[in-house]
Amino acid sequence: MLLYEYLTDPYTRDLYLQAIVAGMAVVIMCGVLSPLVVVRRLGFIGQGVSHSAFGGIGVAAILAAFGVLSTGGLAEFAVIVAFCIAAALGMGGLSHRRTLPEDTAIGMFLVGSMALGAVLVQASVRVAGERGVMMAGRSWESILFGSILMAGPTEVRTGIACAVGVIGLLWWFRRPLLFHIFDEDSARAFGVPGERMRAVLMILLAVAVVTAMKLAGVVLATALLVLPGAIALRLNTRAGRGLAAVTGISVVAGIVGLLGGLILSTQMDWQPGPSVVLVLVAMFAAGWAVERLGGPHGASRAALGG
Amino acid sequence: MNQNQATNSDLPHAAPPGISITGVGYRYAGSESDALQDVSLRIEPGVRLGILGPNGGGKSTLLKLILGLLPLQRGEILIGGISPRHARREGLIGYVPQKLEAELGLPISARRVIELGAAWRLLPWKSIRRDSVLQTRIDHVLNLVGAAEYAHKPIGSLSGGQVQRVLIARALAAQSRILALDEPTVGIDASGQQRFADLLARIHSEFGPTIIIISHDIRAIAAGSDRVACLAQRLHLHTSPEGLTPRVLGELFAHDLAGLPAGLSGMHLHTHSAGECCDEPRVELNISTPTRSTSSPTSTPDRPRP
Repeated sequence: MLLYEYLTDPYTRDLYLQAIVAGMAVVIMCGVLSPLVVVRRLGFIGQGVSHSAFGGIGVAAILAAFGVLSTGGLAEFAVIVAFCIAAALGMGGLSHRRTLPEDTAIGMFLVGSMALGAVLVQASVRVAGERGVMMAGRSWESILFGSILMAGPTEVRTGIACAVGVIGLLWWFRRPLLFHIFDEDSARAFGVPGERMRAVLMILLAVAVVTAMKLAGVVLATALLVLPGAIALRLNTRAGRGLAAVTGISVVAGIVGLLGGLILSTQMDWQPGPSVVLVLVAMFAAGWAVERLGGPHGASRAALGG
Repeated sequence: MNQNQATNSDLPHAAPPGISITGVGYRYAGSESDALQDVSLRIEPGVRLGILGPNGGGKSTLLKLILGLLPLQRGEILIGGISPRHARREGLIGYVPQKLEAELGLPISARRVIELGAAWRLLPWKSIRRDSVLQTRIDHVLNLVGAAEYAHKPIGSLSGGQVQRVLIARALAAQSRILALDEPTVGIDASGQQRFADLLARIHSEFGPTIIIISHDIRAIAAGSDRVACLAQRLHLHTSPEGLTPRVLGELFAHDLAGLPAGLSGMHLHTHSAGECCDEPRVELNISTPTRSTSSPTSTPDRPRP
């Protein structure tokens, strides 16, 4: 069946429309943030943050087992976001202060959170059973690879709210943040509050990653934060456009990836999250190949590492 | 400092602040020895001070303390009567870093880099482009440093020397009343060094800022300084290089300062400000390095001995 048919079929139309709207919010938000993530080399921190969400899921599950909150709702989302922001600030702080090498700090948070999440989820099932609390089960697959087709009105609304929040915060701090990203020491010497900018970056990253997990899951969320920006920066090496243009290309790449991925997923009956990521990877590879094989000019630029 | 009276131009650069450094010491965490020991130095308003010393001699540490990038451990630094952290927040100091520290992969133009430095404090809803006063100022400093013709290009596409001019323009556009340049002539050939010295002289005569240059290269320091501080953990000499041509100093100091003591003795021999030296025994000790002084015929006759 084709995406078009799903969208015209009255039984599946709402499902797919909601998935597309929620997905759009995610890819636009990630597309805006992505060039900065690539330039600032935050990809691995993003990966760490998304896996930390596991710990957040575990904390939410145990709270749900004790009847404090219900799974699948806004409260659960808030717990996961809070956990991820804390983990992001922890990773950012540890690696900045060079207490540990950056990859070690991130790796530690990543595995620590995942282990905590696994233990807590298991414990929550037992606690819920003992207390007789009914908990909505969550499939591991949807946590790992996303479940955009399950997006209900709540997911759509939180997705849009997060996208607006992230883009708004980025717009508000764009000048000091860009100065900070360009050259942190100079920015601090010129008076930019470095700690605050690092925290803003980590919060933006954490919120974006957790929102992106709806679409691509814990494992693939970072792809949405890394690939659109990588594609846009790659396409820009020859053109030399400014950051606004690169951000625009990045957003368009994200949208193409989302729609292409959803079409692919309905055509081939694949999961939507991995399909979107595959389309983005294919776009990056195609851009790279075109540049490599794009005549002597392209070849020479590529040889220079452009 | 009669030759250093600030020439107030039409641009709103008020009288530059002086800097007083009293008994400053610093030791990095985990280090066995002090990076700086009991450094006291008074930098008069509007003076051009060169801080000269070997690699690892504490120059960069002192600069970072002045810039407020490192916390003060011992002693006191006052910039126009306020602490470095306070001065940093006020934006008193324009830092020109060594060119390689910046994130040149960011797709922004040279002009945008200057705009960010000069106007990152602007409220988010105000436009930098439409701020005609700021744009006029940026045009002016771009012409002054000779970077106008490549200001529209991506910062990552510029050469090291061009990036440095842009970073100097950024500090001037930010109306910093103190300019701090870190190793400004690394990798620049002799003619480039002369052009750099001319540029600094132009900047100094137009804006009259206090200028601090950190370098291990005596020629860079001698060409553009009124005062020289020699730093190797402790302050060895604070003097004036008056009457010394870059050529003579270049011969005396050879290329690097691996043999700093020899250089120091040469320095001392040529200064007319007796009594400035803070470490007399050490300088006496080093006078027994005749090979370098005698190699230069101009240096032998005019030895001022008290």
